[in-house]
Amino acid sequence: MAVSGRFALLVALGVIPVVATGLSSADAAWLALLAWLVLCIGVGLLDLALAASPRRAVLSRSLPGRVRLGETVTAELAVANTGTRVLRAVVRDGWEPSAGVAGPNRTALRVPPGERRRMSLELTPWRRGDRRVEHVTIRSWGPLGLWARQATLSVPGRVRVLPPFHSRAHLPSRLTRLRELDGRTPMLIRGQGTEFDSIREYVRGDDVRSIDWRATARHNDPEVPGGSRLMVRTWRPERDRRIVIVADPSRAAAARIGDEPRLDTAWEASLLLAALASHAGDRVDFLAWDRRLRGRVHGVSGAELLARMVDTMADIDAELIEADWAAVPGQVRRVTSRHALVVLLTAADSPGTARGLLAVLPQLTARHTVIVASAADPALVAASRERGSLDEAYRAAAAGRALLDGERVAGAIRRLGAITVTAPPSELPPALADRYLELKAAGRL
Amino acid sequence: MTASQTATRPPQRGGPSVAPPVTPTFRAFLRRHRAWIVIAAVLVVGAFVVLIVQGGVRGPGVPLGPDNPAPAGAKAVVEVLRAEGVDILDARSADVAVDAARHGATVFLFDEFGLLADDRLTELAEAADRLVVARPGFSALEAIAPGVRLGGAATGPLDEVACELPPAERAGALSDGQQLLTIDDDAEARGWRGCFRDGDFGFAAATGSGPGGSNAGDLTLVAATTVFENEHVAEAGNAAFALGLLGASETLVWYLPGPGDSDAAGAPSLAALPPGWVGRVMVLAIAAPLAAAIGRGRRFGPRVVETLPVRFPAGETSGGRARLYARNAARGHALDQLRIGTIERLTALLKLPRSASVDEVSDAAAASLGRDAASVTRLLAGDPPRDDRELVTLAGDLEHLERDVRETLRRSADDHTDPTGRRT
Repeated sequence: MAVSGRFALLVALGVIPVVATGLSSADAAWLALLAWLVLCIGVGLLDLALAASPRRAVLSRSLPGRVRLGETVTAELAVANTGTRVLRAVVRDGWEPSAGVAGPNRTALRVPPGERRRMSLELTPWRRGDRRVEHVTIRSWGPLGLWARQATLSVPGRVRVLPPFHSRAHLPSRLTRLRELDGRTPMLIRGQGTEFDSIREYVRGDDVRSIDWRATARHNDPEVPGGSRLMVRTWRPERDRRIVIVADPSRAAAARIGDEPRLDTAWEASLLLAALASHAGDRVDFLAWDRRLRGRVHGVSGAELLARMVDTMADIDAELIEADWAAVPGQVRRVTSRHALVVLLTAADSPGTARGLLAVLPQLTARHTVIVASAADPALVAASRERGSLDEAYRAAAAGRALLDGERVAGAIRRLGAITVTAPPSELPPALADRYLELKAAGRL
Repeated sequence: MTASQTATRPPQRGGPSVAPPVTPTFRAFLRRHRAWIVIAAVLVVGAFVVLIVQGGVRGPGVPLGPDNPAPAGAKAVVEVLRAEGVDILDARSADVAVDAARHGATVFLFDEFGLLADDRLTELAEAADRLVVARPGFSALEAIAPGVRLGGAATGPLDEVACELPPAERAGALSDGQQLLTIDDDAEARGWRGCFRDGDFGFAAATGSGPGGSNAGDLTLVAATTVFENEHVAEAGNAAFALGLLGASETLVWYLPGPGDSDAAGAPSLAALPPGWVGRVMVLAIAAPLAAAIGRGRRFGPRVVETLPVRFPAGETSGGRARLYARNAARGHALDQLRIGTIERLTALLKLPRSASVDEVSDAAAASLGRDAASVTRLLAGDPPRDDRELVTLAGDLEHLERDVRETLRRSADDHTDPTGRRT
């Protein structure tokens, strides 16, 4: 049950009869007061009795399944009235706060008996993951709008909010670089990172050193009997390499640098790398591992890959547990037994926390090319430069210590044969993509 | 459509479905909370029963009330006197008391709040043959016994009778907790005598003749109520003193002035001032906001619970370490961190091998800047700072050194790009 402001006003209006009768006699004023209060409650009860039952509303949702973080979607809710009275309802849809409902989330509906009305809410979610709604609350007012019946109905729903993939802005420039590398035209120069593509006829301008004499000997020229055509070998960058992205959603990923948690940076970096690598014809597998497999995308290629990856990433949040690096080589082995590029997205910033990682790196580097990518905190560098006051000097010393620690860990990783990529959060995805392109150009995949 | 069908169908697909209500109906609410409702009802009913049986909560009662058995009452004295054959008249107004006094009764007066007007008091004192005033107030003393004044609390039990009043002589001593009266020379000249002396401080009681000239009756002032109280009446000679004072005649008028005796009794009360409807409008003024409060306070559905992800600023570790340095005043250690960082960066800037010693680095830096090598070495590997000021200075100097080296190297690198290849 609920009471409206109108009812309070009605009660307050009792001042007129009370004063009017009170001018003649005090006892009459008491009587008038009592009569007015009884009248108010009586009218309220009547109003309540005439209100439609909110329990007899039939609700159905139509929700978009997925939305990128930062985009706006419309969530629709249809309210059908199966009762016999007109439903004068105010409806509140119980979305989580982070679903970002626009406006006050109070929708007035008037549903005649047997009919159905549709209401829509604008949602702009501001957190990644599944944004859920469990119930809808309906407040059904009587014809006078004094008292209302209220009930909460269970109508679960869900909108999956995908990572925003802001770093796709870097994709066109990296694809251009890839095309330069790849050429889409076979190259005549054999080098590292290339594999045999085809044999074709020599055209003027081709490097004479690329002429394949054996092939030339086999090819008889049909126009000149006995003569043969010059054939050249062509090469192209190697394809169908394996890339395994291992993201670490453990406690290290919960750290926020600037206004982005490490985990979100890791998602951006892996999405950009996956998009680039799938264009380059490499096969990308994705693992999110802390102490258990939090998410995995395996054996998917093309456009489906990114869709599956964002879907997997959407609902993974950092947890305050320590990553179990010892199991990572096993997980990688389950994905591929061949040589692969293993990208570890984690935080390698202090010797204490990186010990587990350092312990298993030799196992990985023995079989694979390993990149350890971690986001660096630009605030540390800034803090190490500020030395104006005593506080700042101590802060600079602590920041300097942290930077030195990071350097030491990076040095240790490099000594173990892995490659480090460290950059501020906004620059980590393109830096990782660039490092991938370098490796591809160098044929180290 | 049944509930089981909706359960198998994801809600995203749309289509009508029966949404099961989460809010219990009124009947379900009653059923679920039956136990608590019963317990609350039993408690309320029990409380009412106890109230009715007890006849309300009993307060401490009227101090020195003749029918008050509480510690502060005087029922004990009254009952003993009544058993001894004294008629007790419980007077509630000055008229009754004065009237009875004219017929030769002893009057006991205790005016707790000083309600009795001075002229009525004088009238009573003149009328009564025998008047006993317990704890007289300042204005009462001015009216009936000028020259007798309040003298504070007694130091302890009093056993120096110091007067020839028969009840006092019989009592011999009074208990602890007495108040004192002082009698000045004028009053003494008019016949006022004190009983139960407390050294030089004063007397617990004073006796003399009231106003009204030759036919004035005896007037006894007892500074404290202790003598008559149920709680203390049995201590020392209290009972003898009280009964002796009050039981001297056939009738005793027990007079406790009430609100009706006050000067202000004739003034209109607060309730009579405003017009008749104000009180009723006040009820409305409470009822209407109450209705509004209930309306605004009713929650629109249950709270929505959201699980929040764990996030913390990455700079916390470094900030915590900085505070740790500061709290322990680890100046040397803090400066070491800065020195190591600077040396490593200088090594990279000056393109020295990573294994280069501090001296080599400082020499190279000094050479590139044209500075004294010893001062650079002292900056990079000197003594730890002695105080905070030195730490700040050295930290700033390290920063300047690094920046200068970087500047110089950049300038010389620009020079190298000179197309002639000549160094200037």
